[in-house]
Amino acid sequence: MIQGQVIGEVWATKKMGHLQGQKLILVAQREKAGFAGRVIVAMDSMDAREGDEVVVSFGSGARNVFMPGSRTILVDAAISQIIDRRPVI
Amino acid sequence: MILGRVIGQVWGTKKNPYLQGRKLLLVRPLTWYNPDVDTGHIVCVDRVGAQVGEDVVICLGSPARWNLGDTRNPVDAAIAAIVDNVEIYEDAARDVGFGFAQRRKPQDMVTR
Repeated sequence: MIQGQVIGEVWATKKMGHLQGQKLILVAQREKAGFAGRVIVAMDSMDAREGDEVVVSFGSGARNVFMPGSRTILVDAAISQIIDRRPVI
Repeated sequence: MILGRVIGQVWGTKKNPYLQGRKLLLVRPLTWYNPDVDTGHIVCVDRVGAQVGEDVVICLGSPARWNLGDTRNPVDAAIAAIVDNVEIYEDAARDVGFGFAQRRKPQDMVTR
């Protein structure tokens, strides 16, 4: 999982079946020294807002955010938590 | 998942049986947030119906394989959605410091 900040939203009407009605957001990955320049598109079921710090789950684990145990959903990045407060490193 | 632009289609007659009847598209990952990163092109399986020149969302890894209904598919990239437009929250993007304002934006990107 990675930590990142919500910086935008992706609008798409034509999607694979299971993705219908799901929100896609852009997350900038946070690294040790600020942001490295990597931006990820992630599915959002937590209603993350502009500028929120979030935790993004990757790979097969991301599918479990939407439908635990499912193998058919085409998702490899999903918001699994919205961070209230993060430690200052 | 990442953003990319479809730049062409790939044809082949000799292929793995599991790839029979699958449309393969050549996609260039969009790196407008960091033009210094040089990424290679990706070949994706397309079941959505994307056309050349359209922006798409690409799903990588094993979910792309399972999406074709069988874990034995030799696939690790699939097109998940066709992008209408990308909306950037200007204030949040400024915190991140990628400098969206200075660089040339894609035509279908809007800022708020």
